Amino acid sequence: MTKLIVSDVTLSFGGLNALSSVDLVIQPGLITSVIGPNGAGKTSLLNCISGFYHPTMGTITYGNHNLTKSSPHQVSNLGIARAFQNLELFSGMSVLDNLLLARHNNLKYSFLSALIYYGKASQIEAENRAYVEEIIDFMELEPYRHKTVGSLSYGVQKRVEVARALTMSPKLLLLDEPMAGMNIEEKEDVVRFIVDIQQERGITVVLIEHDLGVVMDISNQIYVLDFGELIGSGTPEEVAANPKVIEAYIGEE
Amino acid sequence: MAVNRWLATGNYFTSYRDEQRIFATHLNRLFFFAFLCCLFVWPLLFEVSNKYMLVIDNILIAIVAIIGLNLLTGFAGLISIGHAAFVGVGAYCLASFARVIGDEHILITHAWPVMIILSGLLGAVFGAFVGLPALRLKHLYLAIATLSFQMIFEWTINSMTFFNQGQTISVGRVFWFTGQVMRADHYVFWYYVVLTVIIICWFMASNLLRTRYGRSLIAVRDNDRAADAMGMHPGLTKVYAFALGGFFAGVAGALHAYLYRGVGIESFTLHHSISYLAMAIVGGLGTLNGSFWGPLAIRTLDLQVDNLAEKAGHIFSANLSLATALRPLAFGLVIVLFLMFEPRGIANWWRIVKSYTKLWPFKY
Repeated sequence: MTKLIVSDVTLSFGGLNALSSVDLVIQPGLITSVIGPNGAGKTSLLNCISGFYHPTMGTITYGNHNLTKSSPHQVSNLGIARAFQNLELFSGMSVLDNLLLARHNNLKYSFLSALIYYGKASQIEAENRAYVEEIIDFMELEPYRHKTVGSLSYGVQKRVEVARALTMSPKLLLLDEPMAGMNIEEKEDVVRFIVDIQQERGITVVLIEHDLGVVMDISNQIYVLDFGELIGSGTPEEVAANPKVIEAYIGEE
Repeated sequence: MAVNRWLATGNYFTSYRDEQRIFATHLNRLFFFAFLCCLFVWPLLFEVSNKYMLVIDNILIAIVAIIGLNLLTGFAGLISIGHAAFVGVGAYCLASFARVIGDEHILITHAWPVMIILSGLLGAVFGAFVGLPALRLKHLYLAIATLSFQMIFEWTINSMTFFNQGQTISVGRVFWFTGQVMRADHYVFWYYVVLTVIIICWFMASNLLRTRYGRSLIAVRDNDRAADAMGMHPGLTKVYAFALGGFFAGVAGALHAYLYRGVGIESFTLHHSISYLAMAIVGGLGTLNGSFWGPLAIRTLDLQVDNLAEKAGHIFSANLSLATALRPLAFGLVIVLFLMFEPRGIANWWRIVKSYTKLWPFKY
């Protein structure tokens, strides 16, 4: 199992430091949450890990690989998948096609084989379709399989977003506020999915979430960011008792 | 449960392979092949004048080019205003061979299928090269890059003596198993060739679209950030889309050169590029069958406008050159009307008709 190590990462836009020397370690097999008030730099951190931003200073390593200068497709090829906060689905396509797209790099057949769609290509496509069906089953998306993504409700689209990241068969899954804007019932569903993803599939989960109740319940490890700085870390109990965290969230007494 | 593979009703897929077939039912396939047979047989039954056969050949060649443009603009979302130049690259590939080895050389007259594929490959190379700005540019800026290729292409051909400065470079008559294809059979012969090429192209394109190589095109069109996160290089995917579009265009160009037995710059100007774009829009961007409707509709319109202009010319005075005014007017009007009222093109009408006949006599 590989660790993701973020060491001394600083990300600045002009004079503004979105992240300033953040150090954290994502342990394999666990659910790690990153929390913090709005604008704390949580999504920036995820963007740095998944390659959309490149840190101004510091390094990000995953096992033996250095992700500091990698682009998103290189990162995802290492088995790090990501679900976006603002839906970034292929909205004109069906749920099925969205998920099939996520299998892009798991499909190993040649261009010529694809042109005649015979032998390897058709065989791999069929196997692949079966794999996608397994994810659809896992994420309970059966009723929406052939629906156009754009026509689905927000909650379902969020679930498709998670499903799509999961379809890439990652070892590490980055979830950026998968429950934002959902009602209690939908939230409970997603929480169940996240716990299942970790326990049944053995995938490491990094979760960004505002709902502290959820975070405290399911996380093994929590990192707290505020104004781009890491102000606390540890198990849920440790974080809840950390005076700095209390100050950031509730303010001084 | 009994599976009825003939009708949509009772056609249960029992394997994923069944689901991924091009023809969902046997009836669909039967209709398709019956239609193909008709296309192959009718020139034998009816006597068609060379003039009309030429029009039909032209439509078919445009279809080949539009399949490429549709993959590029419709599926990958990259607007190309230089498609005629890509077609020209294919045609001039053949012309260069004619210049160097002579237009009656055995390579051109006997190995013409090889030459057609070679032209396609050269089109792909040029397409990929012109697509390189896609690594950096997006949307309209990229379209301008393709426009500049169109300009450079025209200028190069016009100023190089090797290319006869845009004047016609002749290409020899080809040979078939029955001997040289002479004037009487020329247009019918090329009708069959182009038809075969279209069928091959159509199968290749629809196969691509159900594999990773086709899905990646749609991915970069819909959301290239997400495409990046899915593990595909968005820039290279776009370059590949250009290569794909260039290949089909190059094949169309070679066919065009053989059909007219010559290559001249006047068939590959900016005007033609825009006209190709119009065909793709009117046919329906992002649908494979739109590539068939577009050329058919635009070329038929052209023909009708010519007829109308001729009739109007008898009524009005001759110094009012109505014919030259009518054509761009009708052309522009059709594009504007389609963009306003049916942006999904004729392919959408086809879809409506199909779903209607599927349910008939019921409403839903």
